[in-house]
Amino acid sequence: MISNRSRRSWLICTGVMLLLAVMALSGCASNRTSDSSGKGENASAQQTATDKKLVMAYTWKPSGVDPHGDNSWDVMRSGAGETLVRLNEKLEPVAWLAKEWKQDSPTVWTFSLQDKVTFHNGKSMGAASVKASLLRSIEKSHLAKDLLNVKSIDVSGPLALKITTNQPNAALVSNLADPSTIVLDVASMKDEQSYPAMTGAFKIKAFNKDQSLVVERYDGYWGEKARLAEATMKFITDGNSRLMALQSGEVDVATDIPVDNAEVLKKNDRLQVLSAPSLRTHMIVYNMESPVFKDAANRKVVDSLIPRASIVSAVMRGFSTEASSPFPSILPFGKIERKALDGTAGQLLTKDGWQKDAQGTWTKQGKPFEVTLLTFPQRPELSVMAEVIQSQLLKEGIQVKIRKVENIDEALTKNDWDFAMYSMLTAHTGEPQYFMDMFYSSKSEANVSRYSSKPLESILNSLKLAKDTAQRNAMTLQALDIINTDLPQSFIVHPDNVFGVKKGVEGFTPHPIEYYYITAQSDIAE
Amino acid sequence: MIRFILERVAQLLIIVFVVSTLTFVLMRLAPGDPATILLTAHNIPASEEALTTLRKELGLNEPLHIQYVNWLRDVFTGHWGTSYVSKESVLAELWNRLPATVELAAAGFAVMTVLTLGLGLAASLKISGPLDRLGRLFALLGSSIPSFWFGFLLIYLFSVRLGWLPSMGREDWTHLVLPALTLGAGLGAVQARVLRAQMLELGDRNFVKAAKARGFSRMHILFFEIFRHAVLPIITLLGTNLSFMLAGNVIVETIFSWPGLGKYFIDAITQRDYPVIQGYVIFAVFLIVGVQCLVDVVQTAIDPRLRLR
Repeated sequence: MISNRSRRSWLICTGVMLLLAVMALSGCASNRTSDSSGKGENASAQQTATDKKLVMAYTWKPSGVDPHGDNSWDVMRSGAGETLVRLNEKLEPVAWLAKEWKQDSPTVWTFSLQDKVTFHNGKSMGAASVKASLLRSIEKSHLAKDLLNVKSIDVSGPLALKITTNQPNAALVSNLADPSTIVLDVASMKDEQSYPAMTGAFKIKAFNKDQSLVVERYDGYWGEKARLAEATMKFITDGNSRLMALQSGEVDVATDIPVDNAEVLKKNDRLQVLSAPSLRTHMIVYNMESPVFKDAANRKVVDSLIPRASIVSAVMRGFSTEASSPFPSILPFGKIERKALDGTAGQLLTKDGWQKDAQGTWTKQGKPFEVTLLTFPQRPELSVMAEVIQSQLLKEGIQVKIRKVENIDEALTKNDWDFAMYSMLTAHTGEPQYFMDMFYSSKSEANVSRYSSKPLESILNSLKLAKDTAQRNAMTLQALDIINTDLPQSFIVHPDNVFGVKKGVEGFTPHPIEYYYITAQSDIAE
Repeated sequence: MIRFILERVAQLLIIVFVVSTLTFVLMRLAPGDPATILLTAHNIPASEEALTTLRKELGLNEPLHIQYVNWLRDVFTGHWGTSYVSKESVLAELWNRLPATVELAAAGFAVMTVLTLGLGLAASLKISGPLDRLGRLFALLGSSIPSFWFGFLLIYLFSVRLGWLPSMGREDWTHLVLPALTLGAGLGAVQARVLRAQMLELGDRNFVKAAKARGFSRMHILFFEIFRHAVLPIITLLGTNLSFMLAGNVIVETIFSWPGLGKYFIDAITQRDYPVIQGYVIFAVFLIVGVQCLVDVVQTAIDPRLRLR
């Protein structure tokens, strides 16, 4: 016979298990999001013109909504934030919260602000509130501090602002398009119960950590009112999950579709693939202190052997363009030709003292042409490119050892590599100045190639003073000519930004600058 | 029982201290600079001045032992440090994500338990019968299909093709179904085979023969004689799996965009968010050891002989 006590224990255990099952099925947590995305066409069929909602599968997972922290890009993309200056499709700075501007001297600029602009809490935007916002962005964001290099900001009228920089900074206007300078009512940040009050066509309705950012139409918006009543950015970091959410109809737009999946979307007649050239460059950085690559001839040989066309078609599935400089050709200063090799790779190597051994490997003074190529897992396409390049160089008698490192920036600080796969956003404000200062200055920690060129640095110093756009572009092209001659890097491709979009979504145009996703013009057909 | 609990608490504190100290040292020795990772998140180069300032702000320029003392002070003052990324208290960050993890773990555990008990008992009723064969097939699939692939398969079938269930997120109970199945099905199928083997092994024991001789029904013998003994190792397995589920399942959380601890921890490692990594390790040790203690208590309640050991 089973004892009562044992039976009681048995019943307790069973009860605990059942309780867990009930908890699981009923949902034991609070703080649920209340936004309902609907299921595809069924939801949109019920919508009226005034309550249209759009749901976007978004790649990143912001940790908050402070536009002056590390999440400024996410806030900007939600349509809630605006800057003094906006960049158009040609990447030229155009008026936004600033109506117009003029340069009074190499270091002094005056901005006239739009009138009738209000923050999401109803307060009017004026020169004093913009000054407070800019000062806060400089205090909170290292990037804003570096981009603006501000000495002082003075209110010279209710809607007039004077910005004085420490040194001449001709790129200031374009740099004011960077999301780290989003204008907000600083006082709104003191209230922990409310979201930051900015000036965009949408205001933040809800931020659910790790899940979503919901914005709703701001009826007091100073410009053209938003066509959507609400937009939700769902944070889906996995590319395949974003694709499936789009296919199932749970989202209307999906950002950063892996290029391998683009073909799948093209076959779906309810969906379309939109793409735009980005301002990103996939490249090879050479270690200028490497025994092999300190010799420019060897860098030129390797550069000439990179099968860029094959990489564009096979690795990037056509969603990229061949690169000939750090900057894509959509920029006026990006239109530059790669320098042709003077003869064949073999001729150049022979001239440089290399000889082929019995195995077909190039050797010099008994040492084979053997180099270490670093790659890293965070951008999988780079590892595939590395293998393509390795195979191509091997055909030519150059041995390449690929080494995958977990942290590429850490690995590049050491000296046990010859060249490395790398990827940079090169002109994120449509201006070359910041990237070139950081990437090519001999004093910069970001100069991973350890490249030093006095003529180049001289041009970069002059660039800071040049006001005229045509003159600035010409100087940048001069700088790029030096870079393409010295070849501290080999520029491979400029990848596209690829989005999957449900048919019927309007006003969602991929932009080379990755700041503007949801805008007042975003719409979804009924 | 009180002495048993006190011993376990002392062991827990020692384990937490040793594991967190080891983690602290190993993370600092691992390559990767949090300042560089934070400032170049969008692949825009950062200035040396910005990097130096941020390293100073985060206390990364201090000697290792000072960093360790500062971290210990943070732990004992109760907020477990501040996340480098969100600038918020680590304890609050972990606490905010715990409900989602508990919810998914409980649902996955329920699926796993139902499958373990259902398939295991059904398979043991008739050796090589249809249910036994089906259980063997499920166990084979459960142990060989990777969870990420199974998850995508479920999404494709139930979300993309049939449109019955949502593919991602955490809004209502329907969002829990696919992640819970992905988490619990494979483990349940495998454990069902263990339960079946235990049931069959115990079927020939003397106490079962004695029960049969006393005229008990087949069902009574199965549930109150054989199953009671067979379930002990299963409880250990269930407890171990529950511990790992509670510590967060990064694959399932990533596939289904589930806002739990596992994905948060992996992101923290990628971003070298040291305070979060340290905090999570303490959290995970408490969870795992806590669940193991619970397993011991349940096993002791079921089998009084264990109290004598």
